[in-house]
Amino acid sequence: MNEILIKNACVIDPISGINGEIMDIAVSDGRIVEEVGSGAEVIDAEGFLTLPGGIDSHTHICGTKVNFGRYMSPEDMRAGRTPRRGRMHSTSGYSVPTTYGNSYRYSGMGYTALLEGAMAPLEARHTHEEFAYTPLQDTMANVLFDGNWAIMEAVREKDTKRAAAIVGWTLAAVKGFGVKLTNPGGTEAWGWGKNVSSITDVVPYFEVTPGEIIDTMIRATEMLALPHSVHIHCNNLGLPGNYRTTLDTFDLVPDLNRKRQTLYATHVQFHAYGGTSWSDFCSKAEEITRSVNEKPQIVIDMGQVMFGKTTTMTADGPMEFNLYRLHHNKWSNHDVELETGSGIIPVLYRRKNLVNSIMWAIGLELALLTKNPWQCLLTTDNPNGAPFVRYPEIIGLLMSRKYREAEFATIHPDTEHRVSLPSIERELDWQEIAVMTRAGQARALGIVDIGKGRLAPGAEADIAIYPLKIGEVDPGREYERVIEGFRQTEYTIKRGRIVSRRGECLVWGNNTTIWVKPKISERYDMAQDPAFVEKFDRYYTVRMRNYPVQEEYLKRNLCIETETEL
Amino acid sequence: MRVTLQVKPRKKPFLPIEAETIVPAHFLDGTDLVVWKGNRELPLSDVFSVTVEGTAETADEVEITMRGDTSRIKRVGEYMEAGRIVIEDDIGMHCGNFMSGGTIEIGGNADGWLAREMRGGSIICRGNAGNYCASGYRGEKRGMTGGTVEVFGNVGDFAAETLAGGCVVIHGSAGDMAGTEMRGGTLRIEGDCTRVCGNMTAGTCYVFGTVHDMLPTFRRRGTAVHDGVTLTAFTGDIANRGKGNLFVRDYKYMD
Ligand SMILES: [Zn+2]
Repeated sequence: MNEILIKNACVIDPISGINGEIMDIAVSDGRIVEEVGSGAEVIDAEGFLTLPGGIDSHTHICGTKVNFGRYMSPEDMRAGRTPRRGRMHSTSGYSVPTTYGNSYRYSGMGYTALLEGAMAPLEARHTHEEFAYTPLQDTMANVLFDGNWAIMEAVREKDTKRAAAIVGWTLAAVKGFGVKLTNPGGTEAWGWGKNVSSITDVVPYFEVTPGEIIDTMIRATEMLALPHSVHIHCNNLGLPGNYRTTLDTFDLVPDLNRKRQTLYATHVQFHAYGGTSWSDFCSKAEEITRSVNEKPQIVIDMGQVMFGKTTTMTADGPMEFNLYRLHHNKWSNHDVELETGSGIIPVLYRRKNLVNSIMWAIGLELALLTKNPWQCLLTTDNPNGAPFVRYPEIIGLLMSRKYREAEFATIHPDTEHRVSLPSIERELDWQEIAVMTRAGQARALGIVDIGKGRLAPGAEADIAIYPLKIGEVDPGREYERVIEGFRQTEYTIKRGRIVSRRGECLVWGNNTTIWVKPKISERYDMAQDPAFVEKFDRYYTVRMRNYPVQEEYLKRNLCIETETEL
Repeated sequence: MRVTLQVKPRKKPFLPIEAETIVPAHFLDGTDLVVWKGNRELPLSDVFSVTVEGTAETADEVEITMRGDTSRIKRVGEYMEAGRIVIEDDIGMHCGNFMSGGTIEIGGNADGWLAREMRGGSIICRGNAGNYCASGYRGEKRGMTGGTVEVFGNVGDFAAETLAGGCVVIHGSAGDMAGTEMRGGTLRIEGDCTRVCGNMTAGTCYVFGTVHDMLPTFRRRGTAVHDGVTLTAFTGDIANRGKGNLFVRDYKYMD
């Protein structure tokens, strides 16, 4: 039996209500327990900050899009190369690293679970193959349903149960975790060379609106009792004036779930824009957060932009085409049959660019103006806003007004007239950062019950120990120490094993892929639905029997079975 | 300084050697250099008999001669800035990657990616060159930006892809899709080729032989005489709003 005793840990565990207590943590067989035997390996945490393992609830690390990002950017692959060392394979890439690059760098920062934000169901195998080589984090994949023909037909027929049945069948078939809607309706309209510009626009041919798709999918998700809520990338990403669409979307959302939000809105920074064009572009973070503060049924993540080079990738094909027309650099555009699409372009966010400066400020405003940290989680929509290795700097910015002011002095001078950031005094504390980087994610994803995001006995022993003594650091003034501290853990422990020690990854982690299988009665089994089967065989390039991801694609995995109304 | 690198007999001569260390400037500090075979680091002297005659103050005064079966020695002259490398026989892939100055002369054939993303200097290849001669890497937007490449034989597919500057001369024929995505520089093909210059936006390409499967997205402007030969002048690729110049002696569209 593998036992560890972590002594003198300064624990912040918001879910268990522990805030900075010095205590010991006992670990046995991958779980946290009350006590261990005298033979346990002892780790002296020296009073360092000890948190549940970090969880990223929206990142792009595995799958066809990510891989095409690698393929089209040899300059990115040349950046950030590391040689093979000890148990670590060689890595390369900066904004779209190799799978090992992602896994080692996340692990060095204390992250132990990742949710791939957008998996096209037809291309799920690729995601699972890359999950298998992301050994140091548990992985989940949200499944794209934004342009799914069968779903849109069910929406048109106002048949929520049928939509739920299709979601249930698909999730189980592709070993997915939750429902992702990327520019709902817009990705299908893009197949016709069009887009949708509000939640009441009509999708060509299918005659449904984004609002109807969102509403039906929210109800279908609750009908299936999925652990995670609908996860949305709103319509009109990146366009001036899009905050209205975002607010309209939030106004649609009923409060249907006691344990978590009913809608998770991702990378809201990209959806909080005012103005009518790029010339009067401005922040609407105040309006957006006012709505979030009134609606406990909504959780957002920041989608923070940081200055520098990165790669944008999304299922939102039309949005990427707009970006391409702005930059005229490389562009990839991809259609996924009856399901969705995607686009990829490399970008450089510049301090001297007014629009980029405003975007940077908006992300921070969202986090600072959302009163309840459980409702605004820390992300960059990796790598869209910035590669995840920039998270420590974002923590620094949220904890230090002085750091924000120092940065603000280096950006485009007109920014101050377009944003409210300089007037915001709030500085987040350690507990709030712990919520925004792990506890909030665990609750939002609905994985607290399987032992994630907390350190109480019974939880999975996913633990991050940072070289920070919170009593001795003043984050407001000493933000550089905060950034350094979050950049690299002393220890990252995954399922009871030390996987990373000061950035050195020590083991082949053997991660767990978490997926969901709603229990559905035969009556609603889409595999036996003649109309569904006929459409499938007629329009897909693959046979229905070849579509489900075979079990051998999953290595270690955890299937969450849900009791449904179907 | 004259450096001679004679390949020693190898048990498995098909295993490639990564030899980016073979650059004139490196020999100013001696011959204690390493190469890679797979994931194993080897002293240069394990693979080559090394002889040095004379001395040099700068890389310009260093001439390296490579003898024996060098056909699997890769990345020779990578990032080279000055001096001279003479390869008596064939050379492996990626010879002259990112080179910015000096000269490489190849007596035999060159494998793929000769002069990839070259920035300056000159490369002469007496035999044939493989695919992606004088091109960018896959996914790269700008390939070769300066210098000259001259191949006396034929080249494979994708020659001068994403060419952005400098001059590429091919005395023989080119394979498929030479000059694709060209955005500058000059490409001269004395023999034949197929589907030349697709998506070109700028730069100049001459084909003194026949272009097969000529792309229909080039607009014919008339004729021009170049080096005493009458060529048909085109502008394109208009599918990409390109303003490149393409001059061809003879061309056939796809049936
Ligand atoms: Zn995303």
